[in-house]
Amino acid sequence: MNSSDDEVPGDETPPLRSSDAFHEILIFGSPETRRRFLKQVAGTSVAITVGSPLSLFAQRMSETAGGSAPSSAATLPLRLKINGKDVAVEVDTRTTLLDLLREQLHLTGSKKGCDHGQCGACTVLVNGRRINSCLSLAIVHDGEEVTTIEGLANGEQLHPVQAAFVEHDGFQCGYCTPGQICSAVACIKEGHVKSDDEIREWMSGNLCRCGAYPNIVDAIKEAAAKSA
Amino acid sequence: MAETVNILGPARNRVDGRLKVTGAAKYSVEFQVPNCAYGWTVESNVAKGKILSIDTKSAQAAPGVLAIVTHLNAPKPKEPAAKKHRGQTDGIRNEERVPFSDDEIHYAGQYVALVVAKTIEQARYAASLVKVSYAPEEPLLTMNAAKSSATKPKGSFGPVQIKKGDVDLPLKGTSLTKIEQIYTTPTETHNPIEMSGTIAAWDRDDKLTLYDATQFVKGVQSVIARAWNLPIENVRVICPFVGGAFGCKGAVWPHVFAAAMGAKAAGVPVKMHVTRRNMFVGTGHRTPTTQTIALAATRDGKLRAMRHVSHIATSPVGDHVESCGARSTGMMYESPAIQVEETLHKINVASTTFMRAPGECPGTYALECAMDELAYALKMDPVQLRLTNYADNHPVKNVPFSAKHLKECYQVGAEKFGWAKRNPQPRSMRDGDLLGGWGMATKTYPAHKMEAAAKVMLRADGSATVQCAAHDLGTGAYTALTQIASEQLGVPFEKVKFELGDTDFPFGPVAGGSNTTGTVGTAIHEVAQLLHKALADLAVKDSESPLYNLSSNDIAMIAPGHIGSKIDNKKSDAYIDILRRAGRGSIEVQSELKEPEENKKMAFQSFGADFVEVKIDPLLPRVQVTRVVSVINCGRVVTFKPARNQIIGGINMGIGMALMEATEYDPQTGLPATRNLADYHVVTNADAPVIDVTFVGEPDFAFNPIGCRGIGEIGITGAAAAVASAIYHATGKRVRDLPITPDKLMDIA
Ligand code: FES
Ligand code: FES
Repeated sequence: MNSSDDEVPGDETPPLRSSDAFHEILIFGSPETRRRFLKQVAGTSVAITVGSPLSLFAQRMSETAGGSAPSSAATLPLRLKINGKDVAVEVDTRTTLLDLLREQLHLTGSKKGCDHGQCGACTVLVNGRRINSCLSLAIVHDGEEVTTIEGLANGEQLHPVQAAFVEHDGFQCGYCTPGQICSAVACIKEGHVKSDDEIREWMSGNLCRCGAYPNIVDAIKEAAAKSA
Repeated sequence: MAETVNILGPARNRVDGRLKVTGAAKYSVEFQVPNCAYGWTVESNVAKGKILSIDTKSAQAAPGVLAIVTHLNAPKPKEPAAKKHRGQTDGIRNEERVPFSDDEIHYAGQYVALVVAKTIEQARYAASLVKVSYAPEEPLLTMNAAKSSATKPKGSFGPVQIKKGDVDLPLKGTSLTKIEQIYTTPTETHNPIEMSGTIAAWDRDDKLTLYDATQFVKGVQSVIARAWNLPIENVRVICPFVGGAFGCKGAVWPHVFAAAMGAKAAGVPVKMHVTRRNMFVGTGHRTPTTQTIALAATRDGKLRAMRHVSHIATSPVGDHVESCGARSTGMMYESPAIQVEETLHKINVASTTFMRAPGECPGTYALECAMDELAYALKMDPVQLRLTNYADNHPVKNVPFSAKHLKECYQVGAEKFGWAKRNPQPRSMRDGDLLGGWGMATKTYPAHKMEAAAKVMLRADGSATVQCAAHDLGTGAYTALTQIASEQLGVPFEKVKFELGDTDFPFGPVAGGSNTTGTVGTAIHEVAQLLHKALADLAVKDSESPLYNLSSNDIAMIAPGHIGSKIDNKKSDAYIDILRRAGRGSIEVQSELKEPEENKKMAFQSFGADFVEVKIDPLLPRVQVTRVVSVINCGRVVTFKPARNQIIGGINMGIGMALMEATEYDPQTGLPATRNLADYHVVTNADAPVIDVTFVGEPDFAFNPIGCRGIGEIGITGAAAAVASAIYHATGKRVRDLPITPDKLMDIA
């Protein structure tokens, strides 16, 4: 299985962000359903234009669908830039970006707190935007740039948001912290830091069960002031 | 010593802060173990009955599958229950049954099979192919339904049932002001953001390493070693970081056994990261409670009788007792008659466990709400009512509290909050369109002492490493224990490394009952004495030492880095010089594990007070907590920043308890209907108020040589009552059934 560039559409096509279509394909039970679905997809070119990964996936799947083990999952090659480094891996199409980072690449800084897009512990930056990496299949990020908590510091020097979290004790157990910090970096860049209330609102996708919220707000305020 | 130690320790940043903000801190399922496979469970969807059959054929044939464990083939631990060994050193089981031990179903969500496969995706897919059929039986899902088998539990860290004086007469009489109300709290689930998880790796057949998210590495070691009949040293448990716990990682839950069984069956290490869904079933929760409180007081507010009757639940295979009344009404106020009664119901819902301030938390909620109601009945200020019934002595044990300082908490809190400006009339303090309300409540949590030992290695370069199998759940233990080690050893803070979370270290207690800093701190205090003695033994034999030929018993630490004569203060020697002259690169000593001494002449208990402001839009009607002032006396605060953070976190969890947290069960299946963080609401950043925390009092050296009584749990106590009372003040409506969600306030506009 080789990926070739002509299967990847140009930048003007926004990549498929939602994993719903994949979800449909992947959660279902029987191989029959899947083949039927794939046939339908193959017959409707409109469906395929939503993004390269799906079309790539559909093609790969139709290649393997007639093979010996219908329930065997497809793997696809995937290229990413993670924390500035080029990464090329073969990935199970069902693998989330979070599991790719944690289990395959051993970048365990991004945390799994729910696996459902409900806690924010898995927040990473993809092309500079914050996303829940548990809610996103790895394969849809082909060619994209991912920044995780491991990529924020400049060598020994902490990123200003990291330093502010230490100074303001913006955590207790530290498990939500990588997600909070990645989210805060984006929140500052988005300009959603004009007041305490605005910070609270725009940081509410990141749960902290330890409840260190006031310190998190203080840390973000300080980091935002410094970067302004 | 008392004069030199301030109540507040230094405002240090956490020693593990850098690891946590860079993603370098390793939590249990993040350790890299070669050839590690993944476990995925299949759970029962009936609440009671028997498994008729399990069809694993297609799952077995699915790609990547290495093993499937069910009750039909489970590698059976030899000593399943180990019930008799329940001491502090032997670990905790809140669920006595080992998973997969038979075909019985005791609650919905119970693990019935474990699939082990090479990847998470493969394990998860194969698990979906396992088909289980059941012979369901009628489950008992509510306390009411389980009435006939209810029991009156006796003890759970102290008495559960209390009778002092006669409550009946004053409660029946007509001359006193009385209130009697029922307060209910729902099932609450801890939901730390790190889900529980275990990596189990067998080395041949008789050595097991567990990377386990736990509050008690030594407990896991003991339980698992006894279950598999292994010498204790053959089981190693490692857990340097815990991503929050709040009680749900204290006991050894079924997934830990399951991981070990799966690894044995598959012949490779197995990683099990419990799903959020299963965190609502397989790692405990706080019991729902129904608490009836009756109070009788004279016109001037003096309590004459207090009665607190509670009903709690656990599963048929559970044993946890949430001692609501004894830990609130049984110790809080002066009253000639106190009666506490508690009934335990066994229902077909997953096993309960301790959750932050077990007993005190729901108990103070009910009691402090009742006190607010009594204050209104008496037309008395709620703070004044508490002062009127202030107990200098423990009202049941009848011994003095070691250092209570609760009056100071009320005074400082009221002043900081501006309580004097409160108009007690409900609905009187509006803020534009919003209803405003102010409420307060007393907080309390006892000081617990457990067993611990510590090891120290002092090096010739003046640095030291201290080890104890303790835990840092986010509490700041790494930092506080480094601070204590620095003071006690006489080694600069920067040169001390404190290590925890590994059964290879000397015994550390469960990180529960807010005991770690005091218990492990005491062990550090002891090992420091041993270190100073060992250095003295070297010095008195060394003719070049100023301490030569003195008796080592007359020598002690006289300044950081120095021991010297207690008799002649001119004679001293530096640690590094002693080691250098002795040609030693380092010196190592370890303290003994021994039962802590109990001082029965005093009661050791922390206290505090919360003052809370809420704002409510009567049309919505959603409650926003806008401001909290909390004043705490917990003895010495070893490191200020993490300690303050613990109180903030406890209060935020108390706000969640008051306003939103509830695990709801499907009345048909007994399965939690709220099995994720979108349905089980916890406080978000937008819900969290500004919280002003103040510590008052003095170090409690009567309790331990560190002077601290613990900080992890007191924060949540009282908080929900203060919020509920503020809501009454804002709206004029008493809601006694938590959580106070908007639907319960629909009629306030
Ligand atoms: S793990 Fe992704 S949002 Fe919770
Ligand atoms: S620090 Fe523990 S969840 Fe935020």
